[in-house]
Amino acid sequence: MQRLLLAALLCLATAAQATETGLDGRIQDVKGDVIRLNRDLLVLEEELLFPASTQVAVFVSMDVGKLFELESVQVKLDDKIVGNYLYTPLEVQSLHRGGVQRLHLGNLKTGPHELVAFFTGKGPHERDYRRGTTLKFDKGTDAKYIELRIKDSSAKLQPEFEVKVWQ
Amino acid sequence: MRLAAVLRRSTRALAGVACSCALAAPAAAQVADPHYGDALFQFFQERHFTSVTTLMVSQHFERLPWHEDDAEVLRGGLLLSYGLHREAGQIFAGLIERGAKPAVRDRAWYYLAKIRYQRGYLAEGLDAITRIEGQLPGALEEDRALLHANLLLARGDAPAAAAVLQRIAPASAAAPYARYNLGVALVRGGDGSAGRALLDELGRAPAPNEELRSLRDKANVALGFAALKDEQPEQARVALERVRLDSPQASKALLGFGWAAAALKQPKAALVPWTELAGRDAADAAVLEASIALPYAYAELGAYGQALARYQDAIGAYAREQRALDESIAAVRRGTLVDALAAKNPGEEMGWFWALRELPEMPHAGHLAPVLAGHAFQEAFKNYRDLLFLAGNLKGWQDSLGVFGDMVDTRRRAFAERLPEFLSRSRELAMAPLKARRDALAAQLQQAESAADGQAFADTREQALIERLDRVQTALKQSGGDPEAAAARERTRRVAGALEWQLAQRHAERLWAARKALAATDTALAEAREREAALVKAQRDEPARIAAFAQRIPPLAQRITALIPRVDTLAAEQKREVQELAVAELQRQKDRLNGYTVQARFAIAQLQDRARLAQAPGGPDAAR
Repeated sequence: MQRLLLAALLCLATAAQATETGLDGRIQDVKGDVIRLNRDLLVLEEELLFPASTQVAVFVSMDVGKLFELESVQVKLDDKIVGNYLYTPLEVQSLHRGGVQRLHLGNLKTGPHELVAFFTGKGPHERDYRRGTTLKFDKGTDAKYIELRIKDSSAKLQPEFEVKVWQ
Repeated sequence: MRLAAVLRRSTRALAGVACSCALAAPAAAQVADPHYGDALFQFFQERHFTSVTTLMVSQHFERLPWHEDDAEVLRGGLLLSYGLHREAGQIFAGLIERGAKPAVRDRAWYYLAKIRYQRGYLAEGLDAITRIEGQLPGALEEDRALLHANLLLARGDAPAAAAVLQRIAPASAAAPYARYNLGVALVRGGDGSAGRALLDELGRAPAPNEELRSLRDKANVALGFAALKDEQPEQARVALERVRLDSPQASKALLGFGWAAAALKQPKAALVPWTELAGRDAADAAVLEASIALPYAYAELGAYGQALARYQDAIGAYAREQRALDESIAAVRRGTLVDALAAKNPGEEMGWFWALRELPEMPHAGHLAPVLAGHAFQEAFKNYRDLLFLAGNLKGWQDSLGVFGDMVDTRRRAFAERLPEFLSRSRELAMAPLKARRDALAAQLQQAESAADGQAFADTREQALIERLDRVQTALKQSGGDPEAAAARERTRRVAGALEWQLAQRHAERLWAARKALAATDTALAEAREREAALVKAQRDEPARIAAFAQRIPPLAQRITALIPRVDTLAAEQKREVQELAVAELQRQKDRLNGYTVQARFAIAQLQDRARLAQAPGGPDAAR
């Protein structure tokens, strides 16, 4: 039954396609073409500038985050500042909703490295809060994804800053 | 300012049709793949173009193993928002076909229902929406009810639509708009009493903010005119009296209020609102209608002279307004309106819930309010703006692609230039002799270990001592059995014993150190071998890799080059389309004015006939 429905849907889609020769249809076609072209160009750009063998990406996310009002993040890789980001309220809201920000995309040689991140904002009771976190990691021949996660510690009633390395 | 407010409200009122795709993603999503979260991060900030393209890139690199289906729902929703119904439909059908988990399947059915509704396949849309089994996430559940109601309404099943809408929480932001749309639809569809009951409920509801007060005014105006149409002027007056005098709906309410009084044979009461209206901005359709309604009331009161003068004033005002409309039409055709709108409303991304925020400064801007508030105009302009965005996007990539080409050339040259140097250094560090040396050392170590040879590990000082002892012992042997040398022989024997003892003591430690050093040598040699292999591989692969990049660039450049004129042509066509929509609306305003002018001339003719008859012999004035 479901198969029949899907077949019917595809027929509808084909019928719609046949009628989409007007201006609106041509505009939708060109939009689709440009979106696909953008994907292919972005793939080329990433492969050219950030090949997987050297790629490292640093993400920022927030899990609950009620105990910390994020204002800015600074990220250092091997003592070199690679990201310094000041957040807008909309960006903070997007993190609260489950968005994950790619703060940095770059290249690193294989071998040991050190990442240091500083989070600035308001902690419990509106107090200014600045906290750092450090990660020593080995860069292999695959791309490395590092997530800086802001969490609430309900036990301590303090924000926590976790670093997670994705494989 | 007022126009902007009208537009905002108009856009909101349409929200019932243009269901939110902002809900394609689950609320407070639990993200297990950071790249999916990245697409959501862009999406939540309404950077939808960036969101869909980065999502597609992550899909290409297979970086979303935990969110494959979610990513497809998001991509389908985003493409649907750009009007790519066919592609979006294929994505959602694919999700259902491959047996995605129920929550994903439900969202897919919702979007399929939406696509079918938008394309006019109402029965199929209803079928899809009834296949949703569970609760949809967040506000998507509310959108589902709105869509369901719209589908039922479009099929002419108003009672079922009303029942569906009743399930929406009254506190929800969309509920009052949905009820208003339903009320108006019912009135238009012939079920006047049900529609009026809904509008009356809205018209009397408390409204805590300006947006809802404005909607309440609209409901009262709609209710008033519906009652007038049904020849119930008393009820019309009750509804219209509830409209605020400073509301954007006030002109329409005043006009209707006058007509209600006229219908009740109270032309004097009608004069009050119509006189107030006649002093307002002539670009307002209600004001224009009041210009001929006012002399009508005077005529009803028997003040024919005033009526005649007012009709003539109205004809003059209509003529001026016609000229103003002609100027507006000419300005629109010159592109002034669309260019100014595009300049006033720039955007970084393709639109979605984008709405006009700033209005252009143009002569007779009052004509534009009904033009710009129209859904068709807004959608058409959004498409035009999208095309401008795409044109900019393509031009940006054209430049970037040139840079990529240069980068690939630079890499090719750098590789060619550095390769000989690397090869020569590699030859200097020939691996085979190093390996032979290592093997010889390992054999020596093995021998020293098996023979427990302490001397094999003697350091330089100890080696010198051993050699010196050998020399002394040889000399002593040559001296034969000289008794004078006996003491020296004894001393040498003891020194040799002490040295051998020391070497034996250090044997284990030195053997361990030597083994460690040999292991380090093995590691270094392995690394060197890896580097050598990498160099060989690079020598073999890198030119091919660079060539592959170089080969990918021209087809992409061709695609850009082919798309730029397509986008430009479509933008020009769409601009004309937008202009024609505006002109058509302005033309409707002109036609309405023509109608009023004819009515005014006819009324003047009637008044003149009446005057002639009155002055004719036997007429009332003749007798006087």
